[in-house]
Amino acid sequence: MAATMGVERWEGTDVSVGEIERHLADLRSAVDEGGMIRTSVLTHLAWVPPEWEERALETLAGMAERHPSRTIVLVPQPDAGGNGIDATLWLNAFPLPDSGRRVCSEVIELRLRGSLCRSPASIAAPLLIADLPVFLRWRGQPPFGQQQFEELVDLVQRLIVDSTEWPRLPAPYAQLSAIFHRAAVSDIAWARTTRWRRQLASMWPEIAGVRKIRVTGTAAQAHLLAGWLRSRFEKPIGLEHEDSERLIGVELDGEAAPFPPGDPPQPSDVLSEELDRFGRDPVYEAAVGATV
Amino acid sequence: MAVLEQNPLLEGLELARTPEPCALVIFGASGDLTRRKLFPAIYSLAYRQLLPARFAVVGVARTEWSDDEFRDDMESAVREFARDEFRQDVWDTLAPGVRYVSTEFDSPEGADRLSACLTELDEERGTRGNRVYYLAVPPDVFRLLVRQIGEQRAAEGWTRLIVEKPFGYDLTTARELNQGLHGHFAEDEIFRIDHYLGKETVQNVLALRFANGIFEPIWNRQFIDHVQITVGESLGVERRAGFYEQAGAIRDIFQNHLLQLLAVTAMEPPIDFTAESVRNEKVKVLRAMHTPGPKHIVRGQYGRGFVDGEDVPAYRDEEGVAPDSMTETYVAAKLFLDNWRWADTPFYVRTGKRLPRRETTVAIQFQRAPHPPFAEIAGEGLRPNVLIVHIQPNEGVSLEIGAKVPGHGMQIRTVHMDFLYGGAFRTGLPEAYERLILDAMLGDATLFTRSDEIEEQWAIVDPIVAAWRRDRPVFPNYASGSWGPKEANDLLERDGRAWRTH
Ligand SMILES: NC(=O)c1ccc[n+]([C@@H]2O[C@H](COP(=O)([O-])OP(=O)(O)OC[C@H]3O[C@@H](n4cnc5c(N)ncnc54)[C@H](OP(=O)(O)O)[C@@H]3O)[C@@H](O)[C@H]2O)c1
Repeated sequence: MAATMGVERWEGTDVSVGEIERHLADLRSAVDEGGMIRTSVLTHLAWVPPEWEERALETLAGMAERHPSRTIVLVPQPDAGGNGIDATLWLNAFPLPDSGRRVCSEVIELRLRGSLCRSPASIAAPLLIADLPVFLRWRGQPPFGQQQFEELVDLVQRLIVDSTEWPRLPAPYAQLSAIFHRAAVSDIAWARTTRWRRQLASMWPEIAGVRKIRVTGTAAQAHLLAGWLRSRFEKPIGLEHEDSERLIGVELDGEAAPFPPGDPPQPSDVLSEELDRFGRDPVYEAAVGATV
Repeated sequence: MAVLEQNPLLEGLELARTPEPCALVIFGASGDLTRRKLFPAIYSLAYRQLLPARFAVVGVARTEWSDDEFRDDMESAVREFARDEFRQDVWDTLAPGVRYVSTEFDSPEGADRLSACLTELDEERGTRGNRVYYLAVPPDVFRLLVRQIGEQRAAEGWTRLIVEKPFGYDLTTARELNQGLHGHFAEDEIFRIDHYLGKETVQNVLALRFANGIFEPIWNRQFIDHVQITVGESLGVERRAGFYEQAGAIRDIFQNHLLQLLAVTAMEPPIDFTAESVRNEKVKVLRAMHTPGPKHIVRGQYGRGFVDGEDVPAYRDEEGVAPDSMTETYVAAKLFLDNWRWADTPFYVRTGKRLPRRETTVAIQFQRAPHPPFAEIAGEGLRPNVLIVHIQPNEGVSLEIGAKVPGHGMQIRTVHMDFLYGGAFRTGLPEAYERLILDAMLGDATLFTRSDEIEEQWAIVDPIVAAWRRDRPVFPNYASGSWGPKEANDLLERDGRAWRTH
């Protein structure tokens, strides 16, 4: 029955990591009527504290189809009863137009109860798809220096954060800078400034002498834009920030920059684009370095 | 370019591939190509914000249209043919820079109006005298236009010329065309379109070969038994009889698309992906190519038959086709490349209309395993490995391998290992024309055909056509919906091989 719907699901409590692959294989054979392809391009790890869960799953839903992948969602529940792992597995099959075939994506959601939150890397590592790049999406501010975070950083090629989710900016940027040499970093907040950076770039050279930038947007966007201009022009530039949920205005020395064309991108589009990148982004790293 | 390099803010913004401000002038703007391909491509580029902010399009043709009528017509073309949904805000960025000039191409007064319109756009839209001219016109007006554009260059800015196929009718006319072009333009200002090279999957042949270490060592006569290239269409001549009667399959597909596919499949690794390096290697392949003689070329013309369950007429009964037409709608050939990599390895190529399905593939058939140790499958049972590049449809790559059937004994079955483009990369593939128009605006000629390539292609075609003039085959010789004339099968059977049929 589920074969025609293209979604299969399995749920279990107190599972072992070894069991998971077996249950996924069962799901695959339940959906497969021939012509199913598994062309994964990456493993996508997500660290999602419960308060982020709903939003995270929404974004993932918009994305799985575009990046055939295995997604492993780790939900830490240190205060839940007992120590153990509860799992929900989904297998999504997306039809490929005009070919009669389907592509499958797998989502493994693991709720880590009690002490199992402490060493997530040992849980994720056996589930990574061999030889494909691993992306880690960390929801909220990472606990820099703590075991769970540091271990995972060493497991992955790319860390994706959204510094908009971080309190007390710009201080945490200094800690972020310290891991640039260990994993490439993508910041959704930075990606969301792209339209504006393009716009400002088109105003060069008139704006080369800028001394102060005023940003109406999130704190992250304000600090990153200021850091960007400072690092590009290699000189100090003052920042004034007016809080807003979205980036809606940039003034340079009191002069408003024209609004960039087009719509702001959807959350899954932004994440999706970050998943297409592989190398480090020196311009971002320099901007982060210049925020503090 | 200088400006791009100095702007420190541009670093990392992926603006490197945004062209400089320019105006795109389309001659033949009321034609089919503009409507179905060019404008939809321009729209898709705008949709992805790949066009320069300062950009304009001027359409030129005889049809009497105002700017607004042209815009309306192009808007409906975009709505009908673009691969992206129609968005008013995208269209609104494009539309104000769209103009139309109605004129005969040989009218000096019209040329003046065009030049006035462009000067005005330079002022209004900041296009800085940079021009891309697109010649989407019948070949008989090429030369006239080339001269006119050459003589009317703007005082500042660069000029580039995009030229459509057909490029010449034979070697002599192609040379004349090249000379005509070179009288007014440098080779690096000329962009001869072969839209096959703009296809993602053709470029993927290069990626497959040169970005993977495992293929190149076996990509030669020692490991490859032969190569088959198929460009099959299920359509008939449609409404192109006027052109097709003169051209035939050999000029329509073989001379350009097929030979380009072959060149990309067989070329040596270029030292880099620049226009000169890539094209140098392709020219070498074309130069090394020979046909072993007229017996190894087969031509055909479709008769009545069934395609997709429909009863379709014979070529000679199509509108605009002479009832005794000797034009070929099918060509198959056995080709050899005289070089160290490929000596004695046959390349079998074929193209035709009204074949069972639309399919473009490059199939590399490897040598059989020399001595399978499994008694059960001695002789016939073991199939060679085939690597198939699906150019269209179902873009992707598959490898046929022998695998053991589960159970006792050693039964081997051929199975497919598939990579489907759409499976791994879930973004729609861009249309060839998007890539090519953008590349021309950027001045990157890697995916365009150079003058010497064209001439080498004709040098292969001319003797084939000359031999054809000496006899009159019995046409039609294949039914619509079949894979071509029997002689085409004989061509491979003589060598103990067979065409792939699925
Ligand atoms: N259509 C395709 O899919 C396709 C594919 C590959 C290559 N091509 C090539 O692209 C070129 C154009 O093809 P097409 O199919 O678009 O042809 P088309 O529909 O016949 O259009 C020809 C265009 O040229 C204009 N034109 C012809 N003679 C003219 C003259 N003396 N003065 C001013 N304008 C003139 C026509 O406009 P008016 O009648 O309004 O003057 C019309 O806009 C041809 O070389 C063709 O081989 C086409």
